[in-house]
Amino acid sequence: MSGVQLSQLVKRYGDIEVVKAIDLEVQPHEFVVLVGPSGCGKSTTLRMIAGLEEISAGSVTINDRVVNRVAPKDRDVAMVFQNYALYPHLNVADNIAFGLRIRKTPKDEVDRLVAEVADILGLTDYLKRRPADLSGGQRQRVAMGRAIVRHPMVFLFDEPLSNLDAKLRSQMRAEIKRLHKRLDVTSIYVTHDQVEAMTLADRIVVMNDGLIEQVGTPMDLFLNPANTFVAGFIGSPPMNQFDALVSGSPEAPIAEIGDQRMALPSLPELSERIGSKVTVGIRPEHAQVLTPSEHLVHVQLEIVETLGSEALLHTTLENNPFIIKTETEGYYSKLEEVSAFSVDPAQVKVFDIETGRVFGQSGA
Amino acid sequence: MQPESRINRIIHHLQREWQIYVMLLPTIIWFIVFLYKPMYGLQIAFKDYSIFRGVAKSPWIGLEHFEYLFSNDQFIRAVWNTIKISALNLLFGFPAPIILALMFNEVLHATYKKTAQTIVYLPHFISSVIIAGIVITAFSPSVGIVNTVLEWFGIDSIYFLTKPEWFRPIFVGTGIWQEAGFGSIVFLAAIAGVSPSLYESAVVDGANRWQMMWKITIPSILPTIIIMLIIRIGNIMEVSFELIILLYQPATYETADVVNTFVYRQGLQNGQYDFAAAAGLFNALVAFVLVMVANTLSRRYSRTSLW
Ligand SMILES: Nc1ncnc2c1ncn2[C@@H]1O[C@H](COP(=O)(O)OP(=O)(O)OP(=O)(O)O)[C@@H](O)[C@H]1O
Ligand SMILES: [Mg+2]
Repeated sequence: MSGVQLSQLVKRYGDIEVVKAIDLEVQPHEFVVLVGPSGCGKSTTLRMIAGLEEISAGSVTINDRVVNRVAPKDRDVAMVFQNYALYPHLNVADNIAFGLRIRKTPKDEVDRLVAEVADILGLTDYLKRRPADLSGGQRQRVAMGRAIVRHPMVFLFDEPLSNLDAKLRSQMRAEIKRLHKRLDVTSIYVTHDQVEAMTLADRIVVMNDGLIEQVGTPMDLFLNPANTFVAGFIGSPPMNQFDALVSGSPEAPIAEIGDQRMALPSLPELSERIGSKVTVGIRPEHAQVLTPSEHLVHVQLEIVETLGSEALLHTTLENNPFIIKTETEGYYSKLEEVSAFSVDPAQVKVFDIETGRVFGQSGA
Repeated sequence: MQPESRINRIIHHLQREWQIYVMLLPTIIWFIVFLYKPMYGLQIAFKDYSIFRGVAKSPWIGLEHFEYLFSNDQFIRAVWNTIKISALNLLFGFPAPIILALMFNEVLHATYKKTAQTIVYLPHFISSVIIAGIVITAFSPSVGIVNTVLEWFGIDSIYFLTKPEWFRPIFVGTGIWQEAGFGSIVFLAAIAGVSPSLYESAVVDGANRWQMMWKITIPSILPTIIIMLIIRIGNIMEVSFELIILLYQPATYETADVVNTFVYRQGLQNGQYDFAAAAGLFNALVAFVLVMVANTLSRRYSRTSLW
């Protein structure tokens, strides 16, 4: 079936390795999102899959065929570019038909396919317009139309929504999701927007500095980040992280941050760390300010940022910035008075202070 | 109220942007000194001019020079020659730099490309006198490379530069050799401005280089081609005058004498300044009309125009 495998894939520019021997298996029909900070090698990886970039080492397999030496056109992939790559001198219909015409598809077949795609994307009324006369969202749809009209086995997207404004972006996000449900084509999608990654992906691949940090479902990455990088990248706002001294007993370890005490989950690795420092991570959503509890951690509230049904409390915990995300309904007036939170120890993550790896999780 | 506020606005604008106008100044001065001031002298086309009386004091004679001009066979011949040489220039000389630019664009080897470009740019920087010298030598019946090659094939040597039928091909060919390389820079710049993702997208779609050239590169640089064509049409009456003077001889006047060389001979060699001015003015008028027409047509049919 039409999956994609990357094995020990390397890209070098001169002496600089920008993709460092990554392995990845994309299942047929899966929607995989590559996410990571700018310059981490996402586009380069995608372009090696498309065949636009020479592979320095390792291999790309599409549909059980190693394609390292296969021309882009014979890989049966379609790519959507960030700047749309529409031909300014062609109208919408001709832009969509471009790939088909190149492949000498019969004329009536071209017309049928273009009409079908225009219908799916709601472009039927715009077929005779030039790209210059379209809105950003419409251009984006034409770019998508060019990709889907060929019925490729794999879709490759390189930040297709980053030129759109926030509202249009969330609209197109939903549209891409709907399209994937309908067409069910294996898709690899590059973005540096973690919200886009969370909402679109079946699985997310978090990349950093040419390496894959973690692969997993959006909830998996959210709940069980493998390291501090992923924890700091996924979620909005991302996980709070601060250094703390481990004390207490192996059965009931405690984190000490200045004068504050906080219960930690009892993890096997922690028993060896009593008396040394670790990095503690708490999701903004997991810090409770509304339910009374005897294990309170005190914070200084700085600003309340209200987002409607939710609010972000920007606080400091012993000089570490700490963000709390909470509901506002019925509590709004009390939020200004928050001075402490509680947290379920089971939801607290503990990371190795040196390597950043999470404790209590095998694999990943 | 209305005009005053407009003046205010202009003053305000000048106060804010004066640096830009200062930068514009040398060009404006150049235009005034070398193009507008000489226009004062154009009136001698309608006067019986004598250098002793000067421009202002010479008597008006209306269109007498023009009447004489259009009854002058040599002038009519010069007009036709200009048109024919220009048409050939347009037909062969205009596409040459475009083709060259497209070819350079296909060359992938960087060093080879740079070397080839330098070689074709070179003739542009060589004085026309030397260019003409090279051409005259190359086509010489005794030592010229062209006749030497012809002799290998058993063809008798031809004294090309004395044959009227050979003048136009040699002149147009020399022009291409001299300017095509340099002219290609404009088109190479236009090609460089085409977004690489257009090509990448086409590569994924399965287009080969030939298809990319026809379906992406050429349509993308079409506006540049049209602008250059308008400029070229506007200059149709301006055949490269030095090169003609250097290459022609009385034996080839029949095909080689153009309006500019005619003006030069009448005005500077025979001292008929007023008559020559009339011929020059006619030339300029035709050129003006041509630019207007070309620009209007282009704006109407391709949404591209100079103004
Ligand atoms: N032609 C090149 N020569 C040298 N280095 C390059 C070249 N192209 C890309 N790089 C480097 O490779 C690294 C990865 O680039 P890539 O475009 O894959 O980043 P990215 O993850 O897509 O970033 P972004 O989110 O900004 O698009 C960057 O550090 C970049 O500087
Ligand atoms: Mg990128």
